Amino acid sequence: MVNLEELKKEASQILKEGKVKYIIGLQSSSNGLLPVPAFIKNPEDVEKLVWNPACVYNLTLFLRDEKRRKAKEKEPDEKPVGIIVKGCDSRAINVLLQEEFIKRDDVYILGISCENTGVLDEKKLAKKLKGKKAEKVEFGEKDDFVITTEDGKIKIAAQEVLSERCLECKAHFPVIYDVLIGEKTKRNIENPFKSLERIESLPPEERWKFWKEQIDKCIRCYACRSVCPMCYCDECVVDTISFVVTPDTPAEEKAQKIKWLEKSPVSSENFVYHFVRAIHLTGRCIDCGECERVCPLDIPIRFLNKKLEKEAKELFDYEAGFDPDQPSLVSSFKDEDPEDFIR
Amino acid sequence: MKRTGIFVCHCGINIAGTVDVKKVAKELSKHKGVVHAEDYVYVCSDPGQNIIINAIKEKKLDSVVVACCSPTLHETTFRNTSKSAGLNAFQCEIANIREQCSWVHKDMEKATDKAIRITKSTVQRVRRNESLEPISVPVTRKAMVIGGGIAGIQSALDLANTGFEVILVERAPSIGGHMIQLSETFPTLDCSQCILTPKMVEVSKHPKIKLMTYSEVQDISGYVGNFKVKILKKPTYVDPDKCTLCDECTKVCPVVVPNEFDLGLTGRRAIYIPFPQAIPATFTLDIKSCPGLLPIACGKCADVCEPDAIDYDMKPEIVEEEVGAIIVATGYDLYEKELLTEYGYGKYPDVLDGLQFERLLSASGPTMGKILRPSDHKVPKEVVFIQCAGSRDPELHCAYCSKICCMYTAKHAMLYKHHVHDGQAYVFYIDIRSGGKDYEEFVQRAVENDGVLYLRGKVSKIFEDNGKIKVWGVDTLTGKDIEIDADMVVLATATRPSKGADELAKKLKIAMDKDGFLAEAHPKLRPVESVTSGMFLAGAAQAPKDIPEAVAQASGAAAKAISILSQDRLYHAPTVAKVNINLCTGCGMCVQVCPYDALSLKDGKAEVNEVLCEGCGTCSATCLRAAIQVKNMTPLQVNEMIKASLGG
Repeated sequence: MVNLEELKKEASQILKEGKVKYIIGLQSSSNGLLPVPAFIKNPEDVEKLVWNPACVYNLTLFLRDEKRRKAKEKEPDEKPVGIIVKGCDSRAINVLLQEEFIKRDDVYILGISCENTGVLDEKKLAKKLKGKKAEKVEFGEKDDFVITTEDGKIKIAAQEVLSERCLECKAHFPVIYDVLIGEKTKRNIENPFKSLERIESLPPEERWKFWKEQIDKCIRCYACRSVCPMCYCDECVVDTISFVVTPDTPAEEKAQKIKWLEKSPVSSENFVYHFVRAIHLTGRCIDCGECERVCPLDIPIRFLNKKLEKEAKELFDYEAGFDPDQPSLVSSFKDEDPEDFIR
Repeated sequence: MKRTGIFVCHCGINIAGTVDVKKVAKELSKHKGVVHAEDYVYVCSDPGQNIIINAIKEKKLDSVVVACCSPTLHETTFRNTSKSAGLNAFQCEIANIREQCSWVHKDMEKATDKAIRITKSTVQRVRRNESLEPISVPVTRKAMVIGGGIAGIQSALDLANTGFEVILVERAPSIGGHMIQLSETFPTLDCSQCILTPKMVEVSKHPKIKLMTYSEVQDISGYVGNFKVKILKKPTYVDPDKCTLCDECTKVCPVVVPNEFDLGLTGRRAIYIPFPQAIPATFTLDIKSCPGLLPIACGKCADVCEPDAIDYDMKPEIVEEEVGAIIVATGYDLYEKELLTEYGYGKYPDVLDGLQFERLLSASGPTMGKILRPSDHKVPKEVVFIQCAGSRDPELHCAYCSKICCMYTAKHAMLYKHHVHDGQAYVFYIDIRSGGKDYEEFVQRAVENDGVLYLRGKVSKIFEDNGKIKVWGVDTLTGKDIEIDADMVVLATATRPSKGADELAKKLKIAMDKDGFLAEAHPKLRPVESVTSGMFLAGAAQAPKDIPEAVAQASGAAAKAISILSQDRLYHAPTVAKVNINLCTGCGMCVQVCPYDALSLKDGKAEVNEVLCEGCGTCSATCLRAAIQVKNMTPLQVNEMIKASLGG
């Protein structure tokens, strides 16, 4: 079980020693079970930090904001930012390093091992509690979660309420860190792509029907894009406006935008949006599952990314986020790469 | 809005047979921005080009679309035409309605509709074309030839005799290639060494040729006109200037290994000279077979070397050179023994390959020109020659015809008869391919004058029995089974690209075909050019070839190289990639993916070397941020082209 006090001690120490500018972590929220991000600058504030099964967030998202903020500062503080990561989140850091979006010296990584558990799926928990409201959730002693409800504390085996991605996790402890909290426990995942089986087993027309229903629901709120640490482009293809302006380009054309897709949430445009996003994440997605969690329409976005992750693994033996020095999937070519799928 | 002119070509009936060209012109004349549209039977003809020139002048066109054949054929023609009428060449684009439309469709109505869409999308593209000027670069007036066989030697001499400096790189200790191993050459039967050695000597004495033997190309960068090459000079451990060729060293060397020059029919020492006429004339210490360079290990050769030519401290050396053009003449190797076990090749000592038999025939060979069996040194009285051993066998071996074997087998059989008058030569063949000057007559001479028995059919089995080699086969003309008790079998083994040619091709970034031969840029019209500009192909590296063909191609490659080296400056297409610094996040994917090493990261942003960039657009397709685009093929242009193709 992860010791929160150890985390606080490490956090407080690096702040006191002036090793980091601030620490990106989580603190409890006044509203609901899930905590909220905390940006801790003062050593005494580390007491606010929490760590429990409801810490679902991938905090590496905030490295994007940090980079943008720093770019605007005239005399930026070059000290690293402390960041608390789970195994999956640490893979995101590796991808960001691989893409040279951040440098290793930009971050001080406080890695936390999920050991034999992970984070919870709120919906699974709600179902389990049958309408009772969970007030608090903590890690238990024996790979279980201790849930505080109005009726007191109950213990639930973690496996029953873990989020889907934790059940298929490839990195249950951080793969890159400066400090590791918790243990590198052994865990066997039989099939990291098990959740795909349900959809893959459907005949093509059924699959199409399934996706059409799902994608049609999308209201294009872009929550999935906003929460994704890999969606850091300054200008998204969804709202591309750039084009070549020559001296004889008339004003009316300058005002013209490239519209790869319409903004209105209709079926065809929704498909383009989701497919482009999935393709742009191929070989980059580290399966933190945040896109699916934040979707207000319950679209199983994670499946799209997961499917491409599976293709990358099976065709090219490529896994994102384990080695910051490997060439990226789409830009690397090996002589032995399979070609039989090219028709 | 631009003023665009459209010219629709009939190409005889090549296009007009399937596409209603009048309708294409009529529909396009209604398109926004099109101020002129007409069709003509051959736009590429002189009158056709004049139509374009006149229209540009009369209608004040600022852009031109020619709907015709592939841009690989006439893009340059029409860009020059437009330029001569005062337009910027890059305001002319080609709409390919032949290869991508008329030739691949049958239905006239649908093909016409597609041709209209293709042309409309090209109009959309040219509307946003920038006027560009070619990028000019200087030329390094020096060439490199890789491979010192007959093709490489010929190319090097042609270049040097034109006055250009040449670096001739050969990985073996001597130049000469396979031709120096041959006995006599078909169809004239002149001695191979006698006609090759004068050329080898000319190479060694030529003031313009820098000969680098025992050397390999290690790395290459740059571009046409300005290549930078790193050549690894392997240590020979013998100073050629001091070596007097006294041969004392080989007498004391304790190591014997198979002699490559005689294809293993004889042995050589670890320190050796490949053959007496080797160029450069010096000994080489083969470190792989030497027991060790330390005097403690052996050191016998250095002890006896009076001129003190042996230097154990010699180190590999990397030589850097700058050249403007490269000729690749890496030649061939025979199909591997291990892959042809069905004929007992590599298993029975008296089953030989063509090159081994050449050595037996050669006056300088292991038997001094006498034909003797390797197993017992007796004169073979019955010899079976098997053609197509490994060639024309798509199931098990090579699908292609090795081309030279019909002729050299006839030569082998004929020469055998000249040496062994009472012997009998049999040739198993599929058919005889003797296209070439005096070639058919040569084969007929073998049959009629020398009594070579040609049997049309394949050999099914070869095995050893009582000191004879039993050859079982079928004569498909009579339908009879044939059984020959042969004393020797000679296989006309398939030729393959020389070992290591694939790695070199990757370094040079030149393509290979499915069989591993170096790929020419166009099978008919650009047979000596590789797909990479500034690199040319000569000899059997490109396809199986006999000597006259290899020499002809070598001279062709030299002429092509000279056409580059004789320029003051070279011009490069300006349709290169351009980075939008604001969007670039510096992820470096474009740098990794660029096949021309044209991209690098500078201050965290991608930077294009415009001279190296070929405008292939791979970077643009890879960039997740759309931060890099090829000039005149920008995302906005692509977007509008797609819309126009879809009828929008």
